Amino acid sequence: MTDRSAAAPPLSTQVFQILLSLVDQDLHGYAIIQDVAERTGNEVRLTASTLYAAVKRLLDQGLLEEVRSRARDDDPRRRYYRLTPVGRKAARDEALRLERLAAMARAKRLLPTSR
Amino acid sequence: MTIRLYRALVALLLPQGFNDAFGEELVFVYAELDREARRRGGTAEAVRALVGEIPGLVRLAIRERRTHRTRRAHRVTPRLEENMFDSIGQDASFAIRSLRRSVGFTIVAVGTLALGIGANTAIFSVVNSVLLSPLKLHDPDRLLAVGEDSKAATTLSVKSTSPASFFDWKISSQTMDLGAYDAGYNRTLTGMGEPQQMVGTQVVGGLMDVLGVRPMIGRNLTVTDENPGAPPVFVISFDAWHRLFGENRDVIGKTLTLNGVARTLVGVMPAGFTFPAAPNDLWFPGQLDAASRANRDQYFLTVVGRLHTGASLQRARVEMNAVMDRLTRDWPKYNQGNRIVVEPLRDTIVGSVQSRLLVLMGAVVFVLLITCANIGNLLVARAAARRREIAVRRALGAGTGRISRQLITESLLLAVAGGIAGIAIGKGFLKLLLAGQVTTNLPRVEEIALDGRVLMFTLAVSLIVGLLFGCMPAWHLTRERFTDGLREGARGGARHQWTRNTLVVVEVALAMVLLAGAGLLLRSFALMERVDTGVKPDQVATFSIIKRKPDPTFVPALLERIRGIPGVQSVAITSMMPMSGRGIGAWFNRIDRPLPDNVQPTGEAYRVVTPEYFATVGIPLTAGRMFDANDRREAPAIIVNEALVKKYYPNEKPLGKPVYLGAPDNRLFDSAPIVGIVGDTRDVGLGSDPLPTVYIPIAVMRNWPFYSLVIRHSGSSAPIIASARRIVRDIDPTIPITNVQTLSEIVSNATGAARWSTTLVGVFAGVALVTAILGVFGLLSYTVTQRARELGIRIALGASSGGVQSLVLSRGLALVGAGLAAGLVGALVLTRFMQSLLYGVTPTDPVTFAGVSALLMLTATAASVIPARRATRIDPIIALRAE
Repeated sequence: MTDRSAAAPPLSTQVFQILLSLVDQDLHGYAIIQDVAERTGNEVRLTASTLYAAVKRLLDQGLLEEVRSRARDDDPRRRYYRLTPVGRKAARDEALRLERLAAMARAKRLLPTSR
Repeated sequence: MTIRLYRALVALLLPQGFNDAFGEELVFVYAELDREARRRGGTAEAVRALVGEIPGLVRLAIRERRTHRTRRAHRVTPRLEENMFDSIGQDASFAIRSLRRSVGFTIVAVGTLALGIGANTAIFSVVNSVLLSPLKLHDPDRLLAVGEDSKAATTLSVKSTSPASFFDWKISSQTMDLGAYDAGYNRTLTGMGEPQQMVGTQVVGGLMDVLGVRPMIGRNLTVTDENPGAPPVFVISFDAWHRLFGENRDVIGKTLTLNGVARTLVGVMPAGFTFPAAPNDLWFPGQLDAASRANRDQYFLTVVGRLHTGASLQRARVEMNAVMDRLTRDWPKYNQGNRIVVEPLRDTIVGSVQSRLLVLMGAVVFVLLITCANIGNLLVARAAARRREIAVRRALGAGTGRISRQLITESLLLAVAGGIAGIAIGKGFLKLLLAGQVTTNLPRVEEIALDGRVLMFTLAVSLIVGLLFGCMPAWHLTRERFTDGLREGARGGARHQWTRNTLVVVEVALAMVLLAGAGLLLRSFALMERVDTGVKPDQVATFSIIKRKPDPTFVPALLERIRGIPGVQSVAITSMMPMSGRGIGAWFNRIDRPLPDNVQPTGEAYRVVTPEYFATVGIPLTAGRMFDANDRREAPAIIVNEALVKKYYPNEKPLGKPVYLGAPDNRLFDSAPIVGIVGDTRDVGLGSDPLPTVYIPIAVMRNWPFYSLVIRHSGSSAPIIASARRIVRDIDPTIPITNVQTLSEIVSNATGAARWSTTLVGVFAGVALVTAILGVFGLLSYTVTQRARELGIRIALGASSGGVQSLVLSRGLALVGAGLAAGLVGALVLTRFMQSLLYGVTPTDPVTFAGVSALLMLTATAASVIPARRATRIDPIIALRAE
């Protein structure tokens, strides 16, 4: 759908974290909240409404898709989400953008030069 | 409950389209978050999680509705397709838009509401924890305070009793299990770093079982521990365990040295158990020997009872009356004229502050009501200004219900926003209250917190408040034909004016009640501050020490060396600081005029002092002489205060008359003449009469174990205290120094409770006054604008500016006068409930009432003058053309 070119605006922390959670697994809503909280050490805590505000937008923009297949004994109210190729690219673009920013900070000696 | 609320919010706020796609899943995920929050921290945490969800939900709602609308704008929606929730959602989004259009109004409304709700939240947190929540003990409703009081006492109080009486009660009672304690059983802990003072309580009669508390580790104290000769044991509080052992669970059986005695630790009590009052570090079994158990004249046991299942408070009282009748027959000398008082334990713990807190709660509720009236007024004005818009909407087919709902939604939104901000403000305010030591002298202060119940209270208050002022403009609509709005132009009708007048009158009346209350408190506080304390507190440093091991050289050596500190003018010892309570008492007996056998003598307070005490704290000698070095155990002498002379020697010369203290067979000393009379001190509070007091030289009471030192000095107290500390450590390193404070601090603590409630009520009354006056000002300004045409015509026809001015002014004063009158009546009714807080003034004190009436009238007049002057400047041409 929408093509996210290099000039696409930066993603919000919350959106980026949601995409990051889905990079290597398909998750349902509550699991996304838990995964984000766990990975960030509770620094980013999504509420149900912020999650679905983002999920709806990401679905509309084609960054996410719903997974139709599921385990048989799972609660039918649970819906699983998966990154689309566009979504994966958006997440990678954002990560690269952050890396470029970090590199600039390093060049200015704001951060120690690692490696 | 929280989940259902969330579901309702989702249905209410979010558009149909979003809910069809995600609604159920959203609620489902929220339910899991809710479960997680409850696991983490119970209902309070769940409520917090719900509150945390609201901002996100509102943002989502606004965005979804915006996109929804732009999409819908392209198709025609038949009216019937809209459902109830959709139209409520529409109301909400319309309300948000309408409030965003008038930012100033919204900020003022939400801000004042937040202040009002915040103050309520903070004070309610205190009331909730101190007065409403049950004591943190097992089945606290069955716990009773049992005590003795004189039959002649007018107000009931539960006083302590003697060991023999306690054991008699315990054996006789069929309705209660009884236990007793002696608080203030403080001990010095040595052998674990610096000597430390531990707060302890001695328990008697298996009190721990009566309270129903179980130790967290180890075992409880039992009745067998109380047998004389049983190994010395004790249990420790959770806090002390944490402090001393860092929560090491392997402490049972450890031996601690307390006052030089090795005692075995047998149990650690659960966190939060601090009976009888926080802090309490240790509990000891009271090992009373046969003589102590038979003692009937030393009143030091406070008795607690637990009602048996099926027994009632009433039955316990009847039973105890019968017990007392029997005891009076058996021991007339000790029990004549006394009775046993049985009260719920909770009442005796919070009784003293109940009225103070309720008055405060009343004050903040009043402030909130005034705020509501003010915002209601603003909303009515807004509705009046929007009449044309509303009339057009009705003409186009919007029903009255639909428009009322719209207006109520608007105010509910305001109220909820105010409530959320109010929680934050309340939290800050509560922190301020606790930090400002406003709550010193408050029982259960350690339990005060903003918990789930307080949040629920705030939420409920916000909703009620929103409905309250939201209904005002809505109510108007239902009584109006919409054509009126179109015909009359933008001006408000007479009915609006009537409501607004009523609201202002109510505001002024409420403010008047609050002002009267604050005025009374302020006046009694001022009178109390002016009371002569009986001491000269400036430049006197004090601290306490405990010395259990008798040592005749200790006191003289200590005083001698402290006297040598540069800057020290005089130093003395007393068993009890002035202005800090009654302290110990003993029966006062005149040897020259003994009482008949069946009359029980009265206990009077006594203090053990060194000769220089009176000069050091500034108590004047009015007759006779001071103590000197010749007043010893072998030749005792006493000094009494004027209150005692007034009570026992009216129209007599007391000097030289012999007396003894204590029971005939248990005297503090055999006989001593009164050698001096000194001035009174207000030991039990500035608001109470001075107690009759006896002073005994310390040389007579040789082994007195604990002292307070008073040091009159020049310059600052810090170096003096530091030197004194060094001297004490030098003489005996096992002696702890506690309660370092100046006499001025002690004196100001005595008025602490009165000071904080007076200050708070004063602040609330000030807020109420300002709010009410703003209401008057707002209404008059509005009236002038509304009546511009009429006033313009009057001016055009030759009305003088003075005439126009007085027209507006008299209108304002009429409103204020009506409010004042109503407020006076309300105040006369309500201030009666403050009786117990007042000192030196009656609840209907005419001076106070006249004063606050004048204040209110004056400020109201000032507020009316501005719009009145503006009225005289109306240009008739412009006013007439404006239509």
